[in-house]
Amino acid sequence: MARGATIKLDVFRCRPEDERGTFRSYDVPYREHWVVLDALNWIKDYMDGTLSYRWSCRMGVCGSCGMMINGQPALSCAVFLKSYYPNSIRVEPLSYFPVDRDLMIDLEGFLAKLKSIKPWIIHEDEKPLEAGEYLQTPGELAAFKQYSMCINCMLCYAACPVVGAEEDFLGPAVIALAQRYNLDSRDQGAEERSVAIDADEGIWGCTFVGECTEVCPKQVDPAGAIQRAKVASAKNWYSKLLPWGER
Amino acid sequence: MHHSKEVFWWSLFSAGGVMAALFMPALMVATGVILPNRGPAAHAQIHETVSFWPVRILLFVILFLSFFHCGHRVKHILMDLGLRRASGALAVLCYGGASVGTLAAAYVLATLGSG
Amino acid sequence: MKNRYMTPLGWYWFLQRPAFRAFMAREATSVAVAGYLVFVLILLNAIGDGPVAYDRVVVNLKQPLAVFGHVLVFGAALYHSITWFNLTPKAMPIYIGEDRVADFWAAILMGYLPWLVVSAVVLWAVTR
Repeated sequence: MARGATIKLDVFRCRPEDERGTFRSYDVPYREHWVVLDALNWIKDYMDGTLSYRWSCRMGVCGSCGMMINGQPALSCAVFLKSYYPNSIRVEPLSYFPVDRDLMIDLEGFLAKLKSIKPWIIHEDEKPLEAGEYLQTPGELAAFKQYSMCINCMLCYAACPVVGAEEDFLGPAVIALAQRYNLDSRDQGAEERSVAIDADEGIWGCTFVGECTEVCPKQVDPAGAIQRAKVASAKNWYSKLLPWGER
Repeated sequence: MHHSKEVFWWSLFSAGGVMAALFMPALMVATGVILPNRGPAAHAQIHETVSFWPVRILLFVILFLSFFHCGHRVKHILMDLGLRRASGALAVLCYGGASVGTLAAAYVLATLGSG
Repeated sequence: MKNRYMTPLGWYWFLQRPAFRAFMAREATSVAVAGYLVFVLILLNAIGDGPVAYDRVVVNLKQPLAVFGHVLVFGAALYHSITWFNLTPKAMPIYIGEDRVADFWAAILMGYLPWLVVSAVVLWAVTR
C-alpha cells in the first residue's frame, strides 16, 4: 500500500427539509485496519463537520451504527475498508426508514412497534418477594436465548422488502423479541401480545424472504422466529376449534 | 388469544405446501413419463387405482390444499410486487380461483365411476 | 415533519439481490404447480370418461409441447420441494429433550425421508 493512499466514500446527504438526498464524495486516508465508521469519523473531524450519523460502541454491541454499505445493511463498525479497496464505498441510511438527516433514520415507527408487543416479562400471578426467584433450567433458557441477543440495530428491517412495502408489518426484530418473551418459561404474556402479533399485518405480511436472518450480526434468526410465531398461532387457532381444545 | 383471519389462509397455504412438496414431483414423473409410455392399455388399472375411495379422498386433499397453497402464494407475490392496496380484490381472485379448483376436483373425483 | 426522504421500494426490488431472485423463483413455482393441478383435473376427468377420452389425453402427452410443459413444471416442483423441506426446520424445529435437532437432520427427517416414501408409493401405484 502506497503511503498517502486514499479511498473514496460516496456518502448520502439529506437535510430534513429535502425531499431527496444527494451523494457527496470524500477521499479519505486508506488504513488497512479502518472500518467504515473510522472513515466517517475522519470525514466528520477533518473534512465536513456537518455530516450526521449515529454511533457509540465501535464493537458491534450497541446497534446504533447500522447503514447501507454498497447496498447491503451492515454495522459500519464491522465493515473494513480493505474489503472494498481500491474501489469506492457507497454509504446510505438504512432502507425503508424515513431519513432524519444524512445517515440518521427516524426510529419512532420502530419503537412504537417494539412497545406494542410488550417486550418485558408478564407474570400471571406476581409472586411476593419473599417467595424467591423465578427459577429456570438451562434448557428453558436455551429455548429463547438466541432471540434475546437482538441489539435493535434494525439491519433486518433494511433487508426486508415487506417492511418497505407494508407500513403496519411489525418487522423481523420486533417479532423475534415477542418470541423471546413468549418462549420464556417465566412469561405468561402471549395472550396480551397476540393483539399486536396476530393483527392482519402483524406477522402475516411476512413471505419468508429470509434476508433478515442473513444480515443479522447477532445470529438471532428473526426469519425462523416469525415462522415459529405463525405455526404457534395456527396451532392455537385449530386447537380452539376442537371440543377438547383449550377454551 | 387474538387471531387474524390470515391464520386460516396461512394454514391452508402451509399444509398445501407440504402436499405439493411431497406429491407433485412424483405425480409429474407419473403423468409425464410413465403414463405416456404405458399407453391406452393402462386405462383400466389407472381407473381402478384412482377410483379406490381412499385414493380419491387423498387426491381431493392434495388438490384442495395445493390449490390454496398456490392461491395464497400468488396473492402474496402480487402484493409484494406493489399491489398491496388491491389486497382485497387479490384475495377474492386468488382464494376464489382456489375454491373453483377445489370444487372442480370434488366434482371430477365424485364422478369417476367405479374402476 | 413531512415529505421526509425514504428509500423507495420499486416493483423490481426482487431483481436487486441474488437472494431476492431466488426467493421470487421459489414463490413463482406456485404458478407452475397451479397450472399442473388444472392438468391433473383434466386427466382425472378423462380417466372417468373412459378409455377413449383417456387415450386422447395420453397420446397428446407425447407431443413436444406437452413434454416441454412437463419438464418445466417438474423443474418448478422440484425447486419447491427442496426449498420447502430446507425451510421446514426453521418454522418447526424439533427437539430431543432440550436439544434442538440440527436443521440438516430435521429436514431429512421431516421432509426428504417422507418425500422418498411418498414418491415410491406414487410411482408403484401407476406401474403395478
